[in-house]
Amino acid sequence: MEDERSNDMCPVCKTDRYLSPNMRFLINPECYHKICESCVDRIFSLGPAKCPYPKCNKTLRKNKFKNQLFEDINIEREVDIRKRVLAVYNKIEEDFDTLQDYNAYLEKIEEMVYNLTNNINKEEIEKEISQYQTEHNIEILERATRESQKNEDWTKLQEAQETLRQAKLQLIKDKEEEGVAEQKQRRLKLVELLQNSDVDPEELMKQHRAETSQRSSQRERDIKTLSKQLEEKILQAAVNAQGGVEAGPQTPFTPFCGDRNQFSNYTLLGKPANDLVDITDSYHDPYVNKLAQNREYLGSGWRLKTVYERALDEAFMGLNCFIDIEKAEQSQAQDSAPLAT
Amino acid sequence: MKFDGTTLHKYTKEKKVGEGTYAVVYVGKQEFSHRQVAIKEIKTGLFKDGLDMSAIREVKYLKELRHNNVIELVDVYMSPDKNLNLVLEYLPCDLEVLIKDTSVVFKSSDIKSWLLMTLRGLHHCHRNFILHRDLKPNNLLLSPDGELKLADFGLARAFGSPNEDLTPKVVTRWYRAPELLFGAKHYTGAVDIWAVGIIFAELMLRIPYLPGKDDVDQLDVTFKALGTPTEQIWPNVSSLPNYDALKVYPLPSRQELRNRFSAATDKALDLMIMMTQLDPSRRFDTTRCLQDDFFLEQPLATSPKDLPTKSSGGDEKRRKTNA
Repeated sequence: MEDERSNDMCPVCKTDRYLSPNMRFLINPECYHKICESCVDRIFSLGPAKCPYPKCNKTLRKNKFKNQLFEDINIEREVDIRKRVLAVYNKIEEDFDTLQDYNAYLEKIEEMVYNLTNNINKEEIEKEISQYQTEHNIEILERATRESQKNEDWTKLQEAQETLRQAKLQLIKDKEEEGVAEQKQRRLKLVELLQNSDVDPEELMKQHRAETSQRSSQRERDIKTLSKQLEEKILQAAVNAQGGVEAGPQTPFTPFCGDRNQFSNYTLLGKPANDLVDITDSYHDPYVNKLAQNREYLGSGWRLKTVYERALDEAFMGLNCFIDIEKAEQSQAQDSAPLAT
Repeated sequence: MKFDGTTLHKYTKEKKVGEGTYAVVYVGKQEFSHRQVAIKEIKTGLFKDGLDMSAIREVKYLKELRHNNVIELVDVYMSPDKNLNLVLEYLPCDLEVLIKDTSVVFKSSDIKSWLLMTLRGLHHCHRNFILHRDLKPNNLLLSPDGELKLADFGLARAFGSPNEDLTPKVVTRWYRAPELLFGAKHYTGAVDIWAVGIIFAELMLRIPYLPGKDDVDQLDVTFKALGTPTEQIWPNVSSLPNYDALKVYPLPSRQELRNRFSAATDKALDLMIMMTQLDPSRRFDTTRCLQDDFFLEQPLATSPKDLPTKSSGGDEKRRKTNA
């Protein structure tokens, strides 16, 4: 462990905290060597450069530098590693059928994090992670956006509630101030009356007191109803935020403008032919399947699925006219016609 | 489709509006309905072996396609001097004109609307197994009521047959997908998606996103912006005929893209990233694009009739109202 002194001195430029009390240390998750902020600016401003520590050959980038959160560098490392692993393995409990699967998944993540932090089989695990990432890239992206969507909704709800709460407090305060001002005015009036009128002062005082109590109870009632209304609004906001759309457009948005062949008009082995993954597994055409081994074809984006899709479409969709369906619709229309007229 | 004299008198040519290497375009009218149309007269005689290929392609595919976001081929006839005439829907404006017109301000909802209409038109082409292969702002025409329509099917062709070589020399250079730059001969609809992705970027930037000076420079510009593909991020890329990774640029970080497209929301950026994936098999297809959350995000797409139109050329507008 380093001693007290070296803790407060930048090992690169030897600046001391004693002489420049504002200095800050930054670390880079590549090698976790700590370097003071001005050194980072000086060395890495022009682009990636090597870590200035002797014998450390890591290339560092300025934008990766960050504040050290934990004093123990090992904990800092574990947190970073965990963040990185969880960005790739970002399934949540709902993505699993059984609790057991989910637990196994968590266990696997923990093991990876532990091994990475302790440099056990590091390369193998890195390879596994990057492979998983390339294979599941789109799913990962989807889950990440789903998660950020959720958070966004929640923050929106919180914000809405907060503003309403503020409004409520403000309203009550206003009412109270109004009440105080009014009371003051009435007292002045009373004094004036007492001075100038010849009515019995006792009587006037009594009247005044009765009025005051009446007014204050009236005010209390007002505040109560107002705050009730506001609370209802808060609840409404919560419902809206969860329901998503407030007052949406009159016609709901349809991505395909109502024109989408969502279901094919033919079946394969008794199943709807939308998912052709099955057939590429079970149907073997020696000529076409050989093409699917060709790396040049695959690199261009050529896929077996497209070939089968088009072949089946051409074979079964014909001119996209379905006489039996049209006939059924026609006869239905005829049946219902006399009823309608 | 009739190629006889009676068809001829159905249309009048009024004014020449443009001339290309293989065709002259006129504005005209359909006699009986007084509908304004564009007539594309294909020059014959220039070609020894009959008609120009692109004219045949245009007729072949446009006859098949009918969609709100694809230009309508009204008729085809032969004029007395034996020239082929294509009668097309008259669309007075295109997206390139708007992008270059600095007096027009694009709202994010306008861009969303154009992208949506482009994708709907392209989705219709792809589900009929037709590749457009020349998408660029210049070929996205705008009707007077704001509808965007894919046009110029001169390079279109069918895809999906197992063992046919396609030529990689397609698509205007700036909108050419990386697999085409590497000379791939078995590409897919992903090349069109790439072009749409680049158009999307151009709509946000108002300048061409990847303007390469020549084919070699195009590779450099593309990879400088989006990273050099390697076997790791694009399996089998090194098997493509002209693969070359002499200059290796790193993949751009999200922050770099965010800086470049400062006005884009996160969802817009996500969709653009998915449309410009280097690996064609990882690029979104039209269905995935259309289902993207970007189109559900507020503000929703502007309805076509409220989209901006050409600001100058009042004469152009007057003609529209007469039609």
